[in-house]
Order: sequence, then C-alpha cells, then structure tokens
Amino acid sequence: MIEVLALSKRYGDFPAVTDLSFSARPGEVLGLVGPNGAGKTTTLRCLAGIIPATSGTVRLAGHDIAQNPVAAKRNLAFFPDEPRLFDYLTVRQHLNFVARIYGVANYEALAQPLLEELEIADKADELPGALSRGMKQKLAIACGLLHGPSVMFFDEPLTGLDPLGIRRMKDSILKRARAGATIVLSSHLLHLLEEVCSHVLILKKGRKIADGSLAEVSAQFSNGETGVSLEEIFMRATGGSEN
Amino acid sequence: MLSALLYLRLTSLKNWLRMRLLRLKQPKYLAGAIVGAAYFWFFFFRHSFGETDAPGGAVRRRALHQAGQSLQDAGLTLPTDFGGLPIVIGALVLLVVITLVWVFSLERASLGFTEAEIAFLFPAPITRRGLVHFRLIDAQLRNLIGALFMTLFSNRWMFIGGSPLTHAVGWWLLFTAFNLHLTGVRFTLSRLADAGVGTWRRRAIVPLIPIAVIAATLALRPADQRWVDLTAPDFGATLEKWFLGVTGSAPLSWLIAPGKFLLGPFFADSGRAFLWAIGPAAVVIWAHYVWVVRSIVSFEDGSIVRAEKRAAVISAMRDGKRLGRAPTKGRKPPFVLASTGRPELAFLWKNLLGTWTWLNPRTWAWCALAIVGVTAWVHAHPEWRGALIAAGPIALILAGYALLIGPQLARQDIRSDLVNADLLKTYPLPGWQIVLGELLAPTAILTGVLWLLLLAAAVSFQPGPRAFGFLAPALRDFVRACLAPAARTLLTLCLATLVPLIVALQLFVPNAAALVFPAWFQATRQRAGGGGIDIMGQRLIFFFGQFLTMLIALLPALLSGAVTVWLACFVFPLPPIAGVWLAAVGVLMVLVGELWLGLWFLGGRFERLDLSSELRP
Repeated sequence: MIEVLALSKRYGDFPAVTDLSFSARPGEVLGLVGPNGAGKTTTLRCLAGIIPATSGTVRLAGHDIAQNPVAAKRNLAFFPDEPRLFDYLTVRQHLNFVARIYGVANYEALAQPLLEELEIADKADELPGALSRGMKQKLAIACGLLHGPSVMFFDEPLTGLDPLGIRRMKDSILKRARAGATIVLSSHLLHLLEEVCSHVLILKKGRKIADGSLAEVSAQFSNGETGVSLEEIFMRATGGSEN
Repeated sequence: MLSALLYLRLTSLKNWLRMRLLRLKQPKYLAGAIVGAAYFWFFFFRHSFGETDAPGGAVRRRALHQAGQSLQDAGLTLPTDFGGLPIVIGALVLLVVITLVWVFSLERASLGFTEAEIAFLFPAPITRRGLVHFRLIDAQLRNLIGALFMTLFSNRWMFIGGSPLTHAVGWWLLFTAFNLHLTGVRFTLSRLADAGVGTWRRRAIVPLIPIAVIAATLALRPADQRWVDLTAPDFGATLEKWFLGVTGSAPLSWLIAPGKFLLGPFFADSGRAFLWAIGPAAVVIWAHYVWVVRSIVSFEDGSIVRAEKRAAVISAMRDGKRLGRAPTKGRKPPFVLASTGRPELAFLWKNLLGTWTWLNPRTWAWCALAIVGVTAWVHAHPEWRGALIAAGPIALILAGYALLIGPQLARQDIRSDLVNADLLKTYPLPGWQIVLGELLAPTAILTGVLWLLLLAAAVSFQPGPRAFGFLAPALRDFVRACLAPAARTLLTLCLATLVPLIVALQLFVPNAAALVFPAWFQATRQRAGGGGIDIMGQRLIFFFGQFLTMLIALLPALLSGAVTVWLACFVFPLPPIAGVWLAAVGVLMVLVGELWLGLWFLGGRFERLDLSSELRP
C-alpha cells in the first residue's frame, strides 16, 4: 500500500513536484507518465526515500518514510533506469550482500529460483563487467526481489532491453502484482503502460493532471469517444507539450 | 573546409571559456578559482614579475656553456652546439622517448577525434588529408596551452639563458614536433603492419638501432678516447668532456642532430642565437609534416575505437567510477558472509572484495612473522645489529606517513560508493550504520599496515644510552622507562589498540567532506571537462581543510593523554607503565566519543543527502 499526501519537492526555487497526493493498493500497478521534466523520477525517488521530500507525507506498507525510514524501506524495492551494481561483486555475491543487508535468512534457497526465473543462473559467478546491459538489469531486479518487497518502484524499467527482455519484464511486473505487491512504474512507453498498468497518474510540471484507473482517466479525457488510446489521452491531458 | 573546422574549434573554445566564467557565479568555483590563481601567482607568476635570474645564474650559465664554447673554438659548429651539455642531454632524452614511442605504439593508425567529431566530420565531404590537417591545426591549440604552462614551470631555469618568450617558442616547437612525430609513427607503423612487419619484430629491431649507432660511434673513436677515464683526478670535467666528445662524433651526432635542432631555440641565450637556431628547428618540423602527409593511411577505424575508449573513460570519470576496464573475473571473498548478523560487516565484506587479493590476514601474518624472524636473527648476530638502529625510527616515520597519506589511498568507503548513494539509501539501515560499515574496510587495511610498522618499531627500537638527551631530565627518564622492554610491550599494545580508532578518525575526515560537501567533492573528482584553475583551487582547499580538521580532531585526544601522563607520573608518582595505561584509556575514551559523535552526525547527513539537489548546476 502506498499513500502519498501533499508531497512537494523543491530544488532551491525550482518546484520539481508540487502538492502531489495519490494512493495505490496491493495488486495495483500504477503508471507514472508525463512529459520530460514532469517530475516522474523525482517523485519516485521521494517515494523510495532516496531524496527527502520538502513537504508532505509518504507511507509505504503503513510506515512513514520520513518518520520510520528503516521499517518502510524493509518493504520496498527501487529499480532505477540504469542498474546500479558493485563492480567487484559477482552475481551471487550481490545476492549474498543484499541478503545480509535485509537479513534474509537462508537466502540461497530464494536466490537460486530467482536467478533461474530471470535466466541468469549460469552467470552466477560473473562480475557486472562481464554482463550485458540486460543481464545487469536482471541482476538489479534479482537483488530488489530477494527480500520479498511489498512495494516496488520501477523507473523506466524497459530502458536498454531487447524485445524478449521487455516481454519478460512485463510478465515479471504482472506476476509480482498478482502476488499482492503494489507497483509504481514510470515510463515514456505508453503502450507498455496500457498493457501492464491498472492505474495511471499523469504529471506535468510537477503537478498532478489526472489519476485513477485506466478507465477513469480515459473517461476524463475521451470527450465521450470510445477506444481512445492512452497516447491520445496523454496528448490531451498534457496539451501535447512539455510546457 | 578549413574555415568550417576553424569555426568549430574557435566557437567551441569561446563557449567553453564562457561556461567557465559563468560557473564562477557559484561560490565553490569562485573560491576555487581564487585559491588556484593565488597558487599560480605565488609559485609561478611572481617570479616572472620579479627576479628573473636565480642567484648564481650567470655563473652556472657560464659553466654550462663552457663545453659548447670549446667546441665552437675548435672549428665549424652548428648553432645548437653553442648550448653545450644541456642541449645534448635534452637531445638524448628525446632520442630515448622517440625510441620508446616506436617500440610501444600500436599498429592501428588513429587520430584523436572525439565521438562528435567523428559523427559530423567522417561522413562529411572532407578528404582524408583535410581531416589530418584539421587534427594538426587542432593540436596546435593544445600545443600552445602546453607551451604556456611549461614556460611557467620552466621559468626558474632562466640560468640556462633566453627569455620567457624564447622558452615558450621552444616548448611550442618541441610539442609540435612531438605531435607530428606521433602521428607519423602511427601511420608508418600501420603501413609496416600491412607489409607484414609484426609487433614483436618491430619491438626487437627498433631499440637495436640506437644501440648499434652508439656502438659504432664508440668503435670509430680513437682507442684512448673510447671510454671515460675513471681514474682521472677531475672526474667530473673528464666525464663531461668524454660525453660531449662521444655525442659530438658521428654517427651518434647525426642521430641526435634533429633533437638538438629542435631544442636550439629553447636553449638560445640571446635574440641572435634564437634567430640563428629557429631555422634548423623549422626544417625539422617541416620534414615531419611532409612525412605525415605523405604517409597518410586509413585511420578511421582506429580513430573510432580510440574515441569510444576516450568517451568511456570520460563517462567513468563523470560517474566517479574507477578508470580502466571494469573487472570481469570474480574473486574469492575475504570471509564467509552469513545472511544474518550485523549489516555493517556486509559493507566490510563488499569493500574488501574491491581491493587486491593479497590484502588478507594471511599476508599480514607472513609479514609479521618475517619482521619478528628477521629482527630475532639480527639480534642473534651482533655484527648486524647496527642495521637495526635506523629500523625503529624509520618504521615510526613510515607509520606517520601511512597515517597521513593512507586515507587518501585506501578509498574503499563512502568516497568510492558515493556514486551508489541512491542504492545505499534504499537499504533499510539508519545512516550511521551505513557510514560505519563503509569505514570498516579502509580502517582494517590501514590498521593492518600500521600494526606491522608498529611491530617493526617495537622489536627493533634500541635507544642508546644517550638517547633523548635533548629532553628535560624528568621527561627523559619517563620516556626511557617507557621504552624499557616490559613497558615497551605495554606501550605497543596500547598504541595498537588506539590505531584502529585513530585510522577511523583519519578516514572520517575525507568521508565527512564527501558527505557534507558532495558538490565540491564531486567537482574535484571530475577531471573530464571539469579541469581548470578553479578545480585545482578546490582540491587545494579540500586538502588543507582535511589536514586542519584532522589536527583539531586529534587535539582533544592528545591533550587528554598528556594531562593523564602528567597527573599519573609527575603529580602522583605512579610507575610509567601505569601512566601509559591510564593515558591510553583516556585517549581511547576521547577517540571513541569523537567517532560516536561523528557517526551520529554523518549518519544524519547521509540520510538527508540529496545528491540531485547538491549537484544541480
């Protein structure tokens, strides 16, 4: 469960996110969309506790990320667009490290199926330097999933993936959502959001333009038309420009 | 075509300068620029506007030119022969450098284009020769800047003659020729490779050429002048005469003649000599140019590979990552990391994995055994005991250096993980635990080194009966008592206990700097596109700031130790052993308190760290 109330983030005088409120329940996949500079990544980073919000409240699985960050972070996983890995740790050692950080007892029993599901079991003893971009992405996902998070944030999860990787990633997201995880993902690929997301939140210049289920948002901007695509909704909602 | 290329370069330069000036609006760059400019003024420019000749310069100049003058008196000489010894040494250095270039250069011809230049210029309707000309003209900008800097550095060598202007022109000619030579070598090696001359064959043959020339020169000289007379009463003068004789004889003189021509303008000690020397130097440059233009081969593939490598290096520097290729082979972990337990140890485990394999307890144990073994052997052989006299003080001096410089070298902590701050901040750990965990690896490494040096000092230190005579009698007696065998063991153990804390405190300062001033820290790391006088000034500020903070942090502990010793041994007459022990406990408590406070502060700072905000331009 994610609850966001009046979240704002400023960089000096620049308002990156302003008065943002929304919630997402277990099993929901919320797509965060908006033009460049809309504040998507800043929002995700505030939600994950990576950067402090200027004001507002973020509650993850019932824990306030500002007041009780450790408890909140035990329940979350953040997947940045560019996988952040340690150069000198092999795939298996990454999982070992993460297991210790999160206190995942008997992690080997969880790690092996995860590596197999993500198809990197044969790379278990390789360092990131020997992995392709897609493999690195998979390793970052394996590290994020090892402790069984109930809240997940994906920032542009399909960047750099091949068509097969994109399919696997979509399946993986949906699988976690069906298992009860609350997922927020940002992407410019609107057709992906249409396939994966149950809900959508449109941002522009740091402010919420619309949010709700796909059907609700579609109804808000379809002007009575039927079969309006998310791309068309996006264009209408944002006015077709960054400004 | 060339006008377009010049437009590109000049516009880029103008915008680069504008950007640099604009960023001075930010205090961190302005302060850096002021400190950097002050540094340059005091160390370089001040001399240009003040005394231009070092004391005794005239005497040295006369001595240096004496040998050259003798050659001139002997008959027909080239202008560069007036330079005497320095110019010959310079020419020989050039010969060595050029030989190394021919030995180690790769076959594939490449020119230093950027990725953007490749993208725009390679598909453009520009001939290969035009691209080469572009690179050569482009290199002139760097040559000029390099010449300017080298003139500043060589400003104190005015005793060799000439003026800043002739030195600047001399450096420029040297850089230009070297640049042309490098390009020519790349093209020629590419041709040789196409002709089937392999790398190792070339590497075997090239060094033989100067060796053969030197051998032939020696062989052709009269038998009594072939070798220097080691028994000559004035050996220095004899050696110089022999050296100038050999280097002035054919065929070696022919081989180093281009180098002497090039160096001539630099070493010219008057306007007339400079004008006289500029002609031969220009001929060398022109010959190089003709060589390059006539030997042009396909350089596109090599240039693309080179540009990609360069872009990767720049990208790594901007990300604060290590340079070079990322490792591809994993290594055995330093210890087995259980999946549950103190999370700080996970950081120790991770960061130790990023160090050298040989940095492990086993190596440490072997070193300790070697120290003890060698010292015991020396103690058992009185004729060797003299070797131990210096060993103790040297070990202590090295320990001091390790403590001072070690934290700058052992950086397996927040400084190297700042690039992963986003990831670390998602971990369910309070900030102080992450900071503590990050400090453990370099603390362990440096503690190991310092313990070894302390061990070496403890087992080899043997103060003589008159040692510490410069101290006041009461203090001297106390120090001597502390260094008696039994007390020395306790003193060593006390110091060994304090070492990890002192090391941690030392590491704490640069890590605190990285967290408290991340924007400054990042700026000082970004060499690519981030160099300049302001960045240099920032580094100076950082260095002195760290040094000062470290001194302030150690002061309470030192005061506590001194007061405890004074009270224990001089006010209450306790035995020195008790004084040392009590002082160590006091110092330990102060250091633990400081570290605890530091962790608490830095942990909070880490939790509030917002790199995206700090690094916003």
